[in-house]
Amino acid sequence: MERNIYAYQCRSCDTVHYPFRMRCKGCGQNDFFEFDPVALPTHGRLLTFTFVHNLPAEYDVARLGLGVVELDNGIRLLGQLDIVEPVMGMEVNGRVSVVRHETYDDFFGMVFTAA
Amino acid sequence: MRDVYAAGIGVTTFGRLEYPLAEIAAYPAMMAMQDSGISTVDQVYVANMGGARLNHQTALASAVVDTLSLTPAGAATIENGPASGAAAIKEGFLAVASGMHDVVLVTGAERMREVNALDATDFVATLTHPIAEYIYGVTLPAHAAMFTRLYMDKYGVTDRHLAMVGVKNQNNAMRNEFAHLQQPITIDGVLDSPEAFTNNPFVAEPLRFFDCCPVSDGGACIMLVSAEVMEGLDRPAVRLAGVGQATDSHTVAEREDPTELPAVRLAADQSFEMAKLGPSDVDVAELHDAFTILEIAESEEVGFFAKGEGHFALEKGETELGGAMPINVSGGLKGRGHPVGATGIAQAYEIVHQLRGEAGDRQVADARVGFTCNFGGFGNNVLALTFVREG
Repeated sequence: MERNIYAYQCRSCDTVHYPFRMRCKGCGQNDFFEFDPVALPTHGRLLTFTFVHNLPAEYDVARLGLGVVELDNGIRLLGQLDIVEPVMGMEVNGRVSVVRHETYDDFFGMVFTAA
Repeated sequence: MRDVYAAGIGVTTFGRLEYPLAEIAAYPAMMAMQDSGISTVDQVYVANMGGARLNHQTALASAVVDTLSLTPAGAATIENGPASGAAAIKEGFLAVASGMHDVVLVTGAERMREVNALDATDFVATLTHPIAEYIYGVTLPAHAAMFTRLYMDKYGVTDRHLAMVGVKNQNNAMRNEFAHLQQPITIDGVLDSPEAFTNNPFVAEPLRFFDCCPVSDGGACIMLVSAEVMEGLDRPAVRLAGVGQATDSHTVAEREDPTELPAVRLAADQSFEMAKLGPSDVDVAELHDAFTILEIAESEEVGFFAKGEGHFALEKGETELGGAMPINVSGGLKGRGHPVGATGIAQAYEIVHQLRGEAGDRQVADARVGFTCNFGGFGNNVLALTFVREG
């Protein structure tokens, strides 16, 4: 089954939230769970990035690429980069993959490659 | 609201401390009580972020109030990430200003070096969003690095500007006997020499080792009192005249303009408005330079310099001791150190010390108005305090 990451669209005003909010930041609607999940688009533009060298102990790599991507629907999110030489503004494609591995758990998130 | 005064201050040495967390909080509190001459306290607030996770110590305030033999005074622990210190000062301010209490001890402590560097980095990263940030391996240096890259691109800040902040603050710390880092550095040593990249490796590109504050143990305390209590004391009167606090999105990525820190701007505006002063009135400031870029960005957001021009002021030496707007003469987080829960109070300690005219080698001449910015998360929970010397 293909994995997706979901944003949450308010049923009252259509504002899309990522990550999840209990209360809409657009219209302030106060009903429980009045949001529809919408899959995040996978194509976007890299706004900024870094390579992290001092990592939490779970990461057995010398350095880890991280970047902020603006997706085609305007949502901005953090993701890992599988890109050797990233450039600000470059087009990227995201896929959902393991981003953190702990003893009994795998955590899934967005990993971006050059488009 | 009633006026609130800083009657006493205290601080530990910052660095590695080999005594329990409660004592790291209690020691500066004892100094503050000695400083003010007051030994009867109505309420104790203890600022701390990591006691439960790093030191196996919960309910720290209960331990501290008893360590100080101040029971049955009220006591509460304030955990607000790296802005715990100033958040606890705000609670102390409200307690005195409201008339509920006359004497409040606000002390902060952290003992981060009990764990190794990887665990300390991971501990601080737990303040990030658990699903949208933390699982990716993001660290606070990583957030600062991505912010730095945008700032460099938009405003022309270079790695030399960052190094200038680091050199200034670490060398300022040489005049502060309590500071963690007691080693002078030069631009040549961290940037230009053939050994520079060995001395100063990347932590999160483009930020290097000397762009980041150290991981520190330490404590600091400020005693807040009413005007009535202050009148009876033989200490210079420093009033806490302005308190501001603002928040921003938990996830950094979703902010509308990722080069702005609106919570810093709003907190500073509130603080200045309450004090009936403006940024041009400030004589000395302590800004939250956990990373060198933050001193530049915050100096703009709080209104000392126009947006995008903080690095020009730095180039001209305006932010040095003796400059027009001295920033972090204590060494800042970069040089003094950053025991996260204590930092906001250590900033206030320095400002009260300066406004009393008791700062010795690092005294800013004729300082009457002082300002602190305590930056929690990556700009998602920020406090700004304005202090005024009276008399």
